Amino acid sequence: MANLARNPVSARNRVSPLQRILDLLSMPALALVTAFVLGAVVIFLTSGRLETVGEAYWGLLRGAFLKERGFSESLVAAIPYVFLSLGLALGFKTGLFNIGVEGQFYMGAIAAAWAGQAVQGVPAIIHLPLTLLAGALGGAIWAGIPGYLKAKTGAHEVISTMMMNYVAFRLTEFLISGPLRAPSGSTIQTPRISPGAELWSLWDIPARLADPLNALAVGLGLGFLAWLIARAVSRRGQESGASGQSATSEKAGRAVRNSQFAIRNSPLLIGIAVTIIAFLALPPLTRLWWPFTDQYDRLHLGLVLAVLAAVAVWWLLWKTTIGFELRTVGANPNAARYAGMSITRNVVLGMALSGALAGLAGTVEVVGVSICRCLPLFFSSGYGFDSIAIALLGRNNPFGILASSFLFGAMRNGADLMELSSGVSKYIISLIQALVLLFVAAPAVVRWLYRIKGAARADDAPLTRGWGG
Amino acid sequence: MNAELRMQTGARVFWLKVRRSSVTLLLSAFGLVASWALLNLVIGGQCGSKCVEDTLAQTLRVATPIAFAAFCGVLCERAGVVDIGIEGKMLMSAMVAYGVNLFGFQLFQDGMGPAAAGNLSRWLAVVAAVAVAILLGGLHAVVSIRFKSDQIISGTVINILAIGVTGYMYRSFLSENLPAGPGTFPLAPIPLLSQIPVLGPIFFQQKPLTYIMLLLAFGITWMLFYTQWGLRVRAVGEHPRAADTLGVNVLRTRYINTLVGGAVAGLGGAWFTLEAVDVFSPLMTNGLGFIGLAAMIFGKWNPFGALIGALIFGLGSSVTATISIFRPDIPSQIPQMLPYLLTIIVLTGVVGRAVAPAADGQAYEKG
Amino acid sequence: MPPALQAIGITKCFPGVLANDHVDFALAQGEIHALLGENGAGKSTLMNILYGLYQPDEGQITVNGQPVKIVSPHDAIARGIGMVHQHFMLVPPLTVTENIMLGQESLVGATQALGSLAMLNRRAAADRIRTLSQQYGLAVDPDATVGDLPVGAQQRVEIIKALYRSAEILILDEPTAVLTPQEADELFVIMRGMVQQGKSIVFITHKLREVFAVADTISVMRAGAMVGSVKPAQATRELLAEMMVGRAVILAIDKAAAQPGAPVLQTDGLRVLDDRKHVAVDGVSLEVRSGEILGVAGVQGNGQTELAEALTGLRRVAGGNITLNGHDTTHATPRQLVEAGMGHVPEDRHKHGLVLAFPIRDNIVLCTYYRPPNSHGVVLDYPAIERQAEELVRVFDVRTPSIQTTAGSLSGGNQQKVIMARELSRLAGQDGVQTREPPFLIASQPTRGLDVGSIEFIHRRIVEARDRGAAVLLISAELDEIMSLSDRIAVMYKGHVLATVDARAATREQLGLLMAGVTPASGKEDARG
Repeated sequence: MANLARNPVSARNRVSPLQRILDLLSMPALALVTAFVLGAVVIFLTSGRLETVGEAYWGLLRGAFLKERGFSESLVAAIPYVFLSLGLALGFKTGLFNIGVEGQFYMGAIAAAWAGQAVQGVPAIIHLPLTLLAGALGGAIWAGIPGYLKAKTGAHEVISTMMMNYVAFRLTEFLISGPLRAPSGSTIQTPRISPGAELWSLWDIPARLADPLNALAVGLGLGFLAWLIARAVSRRGQESGASGQSATSEKAGRAVRNSQFAIRNSPLLIGIAVTIIAFLALPPLTRLWWPFTDQYDRLHLGLVLAVLAAVAVWWLLWKTTIGFELRTVGANPNAARYAGMSITRNVVLGMALSGALAGLAGTVEVVGVSICRCLPLFFSSGYGFDSIAIALLGRNNPFGILASSFLFGAMRNGADLMELSSGVSKYIISLIQALVLLFVAAPAVVRWLYRIKGAARADDAPLTRGWGG
Repeated sequence: MNAELRMQTGARVFWLKVRRSSVTLLLSAFGLVASWALLNLVIGGQCGSKCVEDTLAQTLRVATPIAFAAFCGVLCERAGVVDIGIEGKMLMSAMVAYGVNLFGFQLFQDGMGPAAAGNLSRWLAVVAAVAVAILLGGLHAVVSIRFKSDQIISGTVINILAIGVTGYMYRSFLSENLPAGPGTFPLAPIPLLSQIPVLGPIFFQQKPLTYIMLLLAFGITWMLFYTQWGLRVRAVGEHPRAADTLGVNVLRTRYINTLVGGAVAGLGGAWFTLEAVDVFSPLMTNGLGFIGLAAMIFGKWNPFGALIGALIFGLGSSVTATISIFRPDIPSQIPQMLPYLLTIIVLTGVVGRAVAPAADGQAYEKG
Repeated sequence: MPPALQAIGITKCFPGVLANDHVDFALAQGEIHALLGENGAGKSTLMNILYGLYQPDEGQITVNGQPVKIVSPHDAIARGIGMVHQHFMLVPPLTVTENIMLGQESLVGATQALGSLAMLNRRAAADRIRTLSQQYGLAVDPDATVGDLPVGAQQRVEIIKALYRSAEILILDEPTAVLTPQEADELFVIMRGMVQQGKSIVFITHKLREVFAVADTISVMRAGAMVGSVKPAQATRELLAEMMVGRAVILAIDKAAAQPGAPVLQTDGLRVLDDRKHVAVDGVSLEVRSGEILGVAGVQGNGQTELAEALTGLRRVAGGNITLNGHDTTHATPRQLVEAGMGHVPEDRHKHGLVLAFPIRDNIVLCTYYRPPNSHGVVLDYPAIERQAEELVRVFDVRTPSIQTTAGSLSGGNQQKVIMARELSRLAGQDGVQTREPPFLIASQPTRGLDVGSIEFIHRRIVEARDRGAAVLLISAELDEIMSLSDRIAVMYKGHVLATVDARAATREQLGLLMAGVTPASGKEDARG
């Protein structure tokens, strides 16, 4: 076999991006198709009519996308899935099966429900981040405890987080019916959170931006994003520019130094500029024209948060030393110890981050989706197990998770109309989801079904380990 | 090695075992007394001897499904297959048992009178529950053994499948307009033995599935450590390649154990709707399948150890019920958390020192 | 008389590699036939086929001249073939009796009607084991738990396991890998005894010396093909080596005399416990100076693994202390040791040395990812990492299409080169960290399972490191490697260093005795342990 070529750039001669995407998508796509086909078979068998299958899937499609507000409702349903699945994926990457996301969801929700109304009249620029933080912390602590127990005693996180789930259900039940119960009204629920802690619905944004503090917050947020993007772009430019650089004269040298100065400091300038422009321009602009006007549309800013979370998780796992450690602990804990990484710290951190994301899912439910802007007693999510399928379908990759979360959100949303129009129970969706999980978790099954040849690939390796850890 | 030396080593090993089990026994006795004092503190000393008897009898009752779950775990994991899907198997079995019991009774009662019909439908329900659980166990086996999927995920699939299917069936057939059924198994006191003071009412005035569970503890222990099959199972779970080189069929051993384990889990599921309550509600297994796994780890993959673990959690559960009765002022959710917290505490205290079968959770590649 | 066991035209293909290429092999009745070849030559594959663990793609097998089909070990055992594997096929928690009778259990007669649920008759099996033990001189205790037995005893259990099944043909795969030279000689005596009682034996090895001690015929395999068969009287070591490797082989490395400087690593009364809380390292005091290679010889299982783990921060030290360049590093973490300039080539490259799922690029910076230039703050600098990785891959001649290839898809030799590249480049200060004091390298079984080319490469690199002033601690169970590379040799036995000798003066016999616990003063086996 030949040695590497001398030119380092050609050493990065990988398979073309299109080929890679096709490769990555083929298994999940096949898994989905097979699951839907098998679902159709079940519908046919239980209803006795072939037409029911068509009615069911057509109802599903209409409910998910085509009916009024269907598309936005699918997005709304997808948002908690994104957070939960990101949490699960982060756990998987660290070698942990955080099946306790459901309980962490509840703890995040109750923490946010409390934080949202514990103080009143605080402006959104402070209260909203604080509430989100409270929810994330609630989930992080709830997951961190089993994480610590696993690191110190080897107690398997599947059992301990499952138990924490049941404790969380009882605890939130107790809190909502007792200490945190809203004093007035007949339904058992927590008090309504302060408007400052709410996650803005999209149709409401122009009104919100009328408040200068809110406009400032938005401006700062957009400016921060602009700064990050500009920094990433400029660093790319620096690398490819620098490697070909060869200043031949004094003037050229000075020009190079000047441009290098500009490049190095421009992201900050860009960020500041965007902040100011946004602060001044957005309120009047949005009052003039704003696409979202439907007051019954439940889509909220959580969508933006979800996308940001996906990017953040991607960046953390693949671009930072923290993520490098988490992934190493997940891939080979012995090698991680050898490399000087602390297993305890990484296991606890992995679980805590995973729980924080799950807690954010619960927070978003309370502050963004719920009509009462509170947490009612008989609130049930059932999001937890679905997220396992989503995380695996998305191959534990944040962007894959965005896509599969949307798919599952759409399915969940469309299931109501499916049931109404064809009589097929919503639980068929659970069946399809279980099948998807089955096929994604055992690619060998799909290969066997379709007689696809090919040896097992590296990512077919087990995601979890036995009890010994 | 001469006979004397052999006897000395044998005697030393035996003495070590006795010493270890008497330490465990002492610790358990201490734990029991301590929790008793705590209980009486909470309920203000109102629990007399009848109340004690009732609580302990209830302990054995609640321990039954946990023990079944733990036994299923032991059977599977001793052969090297991790089974997280016990919860799902029990849930499906509970529903199937309920359905068969109800509709079977409708079918038979005209022909043979209510009492006989009730008996027949109940035992038929047990068979049906076992059958369904074997099917699910077979699915888990095929996916994990033949297709070498990650076993924990495969078990989770069983759980999700069970939740979906039972939810669907419940909504469609089992939530309203139900005919009257024959009810759960009646208490079956064993003649003579149930008259023994103290032990009698606790151990020998139970329902049939509880008796089966106790017999299984003996049966599985005997099978694992005294029979040819047990030796092969243990070898396959620790070092499958070694067993393979000696002609033991590793895959077949794993399949059979997973199926038998499934059957045992089916018995556990049947308990919910045939011995505990006469109704099926979604998610009624409440995590007892997972607690069973914790009991299995506590018992170091031995059936009797697992039984003790199940009894401990059963005690937690029944103490919860007792507290709720005597102290209605404490919100019910607080004591309800007890069994789960207890599980976590026990798990963290024991797991470090409990070693699973070495090949547990790893798919076996021939060659 | 037909051969006891014969393979004709055996061909076996695995994905990407032709393991056996039309191999012919014949074991005559009543002979000891040595099968020689370097790691990866295909010897074990051929024997696994004869034992039914693999199926050949082409070819035929005959037993006593009759063509047979062997599709499983069950068939092989039925035909009288028994195999003792290189990595023992013993179940540690079970007793000797249970291990031996597994698959052919003695059952209590009355219960046999129960089929699989028949009860075990341990006593009958144990009696039979004792009979065999006496007949062949293989001392074992039927009631002992296999996991507690020393390696030599485990091997005896494996041999009795084959004899228990009335094996007439025995295949021994690298049996001397875990024995001292003296124990190997004892094994040869037992083998000759078995042959006298009518057995025929195939014995696989990669060690040239042994074949002359005991073989009646020598067959050599190379790269999946049978190169030829010779009688020991007609062969020389050089001839056999050339048959094994395909070119003239330098049997000993060429190195300049050592120029040792100040001590770099010192241990004083080091005590380390193993996983079962037994004392594995018992009061070891040794010293490695800069510019020298101290080789630690000894059969595996005498505490070397625990010593290496204690020195590299992977195992807690129970007593005594460790000093590195004057600093106390007894309780140092692996990261602190990396910062102090230690390089560690671990014994198990898959377990500790590499993350097989990660690309080569990530494995190269596995120990240094957290500091510049590989990262700034928390952000990784991939261009810098990739530059470094490409350079190291070029310098260390790692055969790979790119640095993005996962480590798991490399061959064993290339994987080890990646690890050496990582550890040695730190020593030389190539990743930008200046180490003022002489660096320290600890290499544990660095060439286990590698082909001759890789072995030569790695040996040369270790000597280069020494010549650059590093202090090198070399731990190996291969006596040849120790004798060829070391400047001084320490022999470990049951957790003690029995003696430390100058490598130039040491002889195999002397080292072999020490490895067996025989100190020159007493002349008897070491009473400790």
